[in-house]
Amino acid sequence: MTEPYAARVSGTSLLAWRNLSHDRARFVVTLVGVLFAVLLMGVELGLLLGFARTTSGLVDHTAADLWITPAGTTNVDIAGRLDERRRFEALAVPGVASVDMLMMQFAFWRKPDGGTESVSMVGFNLASGQGRPWNLVEGRVEDLQQDDAVIIDQLYAGKLGVTALGQTVEINNHRARVVGFTQGIRTFTQSPYVFATHRNAQRFTFFRPDQTTYLLVRLQAGADAAGVRAALQARLGRVDVWFAADFARAAQRYWLITTGAGSALLLAALLGLVVGIVIVGQTLYATTVDRLPEYATLRAMGAPNRYLHRVILKQAAISAVFGFSGGMLLVALVVAASAGSTVAVAMPLGLVGVLALLTLCMCALGALVSIRRITRIDPTSVFQ
Amino acid sequence: MSAVLALEQIGVVYGQGATAFTALQDISLEIEAGEMTLLLGPSGSGKTSLLQIMGCLLRPTRGRVHLFGNPLASGLAVEAMAALRLAHVGFVFQHYNLFPTLKAWENVAIALDIKAVPRSSQRQLALALLERLGLGDRAEHYPSELSGGQKQRVAIARALAGKPRILLADEPTAALDGKTGQSVAATLHGLARDEGVAVVVVSHDPRVEPFGDRVLHLEDGRLVGDRRPQRSSV
Ligand SMILES: Nc1ncnc2c1ncn2[C@@H]1O[C@H](COP(=O)(O)OP(=O)(O)OP(=O)(O)O)[C@@H](O)[C@H]1O
Ligand SMILES: [Mg+2]
Repeated sequence: MTEPYAARVSGTSLLAWRNLSHDRARFVVTLVGVLFAVLLMGVELGLLLGFARTTSGLVDHTAADLWITPAGTTNVDIAGRLDERRRFEALAVPGVASVDMLMMQFAFWRKPDGGTESVSMVGFNLASGQGRPWNLVEGRVEDLQQDDAVIIDQLYAGKLGVTALGQTVEINNHRARVVGFTQGIRTFTQSPYVFATHRNAQRFTFFRPDQTTYLLVRLQAGADAAGVRAALQARLGRVDVWFAADFARAAQRYWLITTGAGSALLLAALLGLVVGIVIVGQTLYATTVDRLPEYATLRAMGAPNRYLHRVILKQAAISAVFGFSGGMLLVALVVAASAGSTVAVAMPLGLVGVLALLTLCMCALGALVSIRRITRIDPTSVFQ
Repeated sequence: MSAVLALEQIGVVYGQGATAFTALQDISLEIEAGEMTLLLGPSGSGKTSLLQIMGCLLRPTRGRVHLFGNPLASGLAVEAMAALRLAHVGFVFQHYNLFPTLKAWENVAIALDIKAVPRSSQRQLALALLERLGLGDRAEHYPSELSGGQKQRVAIARALAGKPRILLADEPTAALDGKTGQSVAATLHGLARDEGVAVVVVSHDPRVEPFGDRVLHLEDGRLVGDRRPQRSSV
């Protein structure tokens, strides 16, 4: 530390920094503890968010205001069927601007070399584009106009036995041709989404021409969304009418809660937090006990307790900052590695903020034991 | 001149019940500014306890302490006592009690920092204090790089930071060789004479004795002697 710097920092920061840096081995243990806690929390929470985004991806990437689903639908991947005439009923409700059909149905995919996988067929209205694939990296959505055309994601190309555009496969024994690749459209069910026009999808999956799965409603500008939703519900009867955001959340809840994936991930993240608190608490306490005479001296000199607390808390904060930086570096590596896999670790800025906050809380909690100890310190002990 | 510090029938009892031990009994005295008072007595006679009473480190079991003429409440809160120490008292210890991870000037600056002296002037003031104690060239050294006498001077500089009116030292020369101890004692005496600080020094060291303006004698927790030796040469 250079002198001009030391002259500028506060006494508590100086003591905190020196206490840590003069006990390097212990500081390293603290940092490694924080680092692994951050890594564990970051990866688990990132997975949780990644899964959540995956389960609602299809809903999040349409511009619909309302979703009309078969009654009792819990998530976008599994649903019954709706008759097409429902669409006309919906169109008759005041405030509705447009209604598009979106089809979703499991199907069997026969790879070019034989072998079968299950896929989720997504049929959408090419004209409106509601429910169309996003992040296209090869081919064009318009190519789906051809009778046998489908678009899949590169992440699942290997699983589906596809190596290049133009390859032919069979879906439910119908010939299909891959005309485009997307990048990063994942599915939680592990049955990859296969995009096709609504009509082609009906054919692939033996839907009657007047059947669909969902109706996507766009509202007229200025329409009262809640009012239109109620009117649709009243008019259509045995269906569910959702705000798009609610339907997205329902899908997330369904998959993360029913499969137990959510609680497993949260538990693992919590474990990281607890391990971090324990390690920081232990090492910080050991450092504090080593320096009790110095804290007693400060107290004898008349330093208020909060001055002593500040020294401890700053040690915790320094450990938090360094440990967090290192931990996030590793998290970033994991995130980058996950980009090319079917399991995404999401790390938006908001989650980085949450992790930073968790790290600070972790270190502050770890500091509590030390703070309790020095609060009870007897300043007369300096004379012994 | 009114007393900086006045003790009124002070009693200190450690422990309770069967293990209760009376360390100080019925001590009344006044400490004046500008004087160096020596506190003498055999081991266990209560010198340190009395110093702690004077320094607002210890609450008396009986009696009353007056600071600048104002009586301190008997049930004074721990933080309030700390605030009084911070404002008025500097301590010097037998074993220096410097912060080993801080350089000499930083040790002094910490005392200024606790007293909320602006950060920008802390270094200047700390260096000036060290200069005054003849340690101008040692400011950038860590305590482990200083001799015992130098360490004790840093400790005195630290105790003087923020200009306390009372300086209390417990065996400040006990760990120093004779000549060094003598010069530390002279420094303390100089602070009383030149700066008007009320200096109280607990000491066994015969080399410190000549510097006392006043000598108090404790025995078994009682004040048994209070004299002002005729000074010839200091
Ligand atoms: N915290 C305490 N609890 C119990 N007894 C104590 C405590 N502090 C001091 N005593 C006792 O009070 C008496 C006076 O102690 P004190 O430290 O004031 O003596 P002293 O004159 O400074 O001795 P020395 O010259 O050895 O330092 C001693 O008998 C000591 O054992
Ligand atoms: Mg003593």
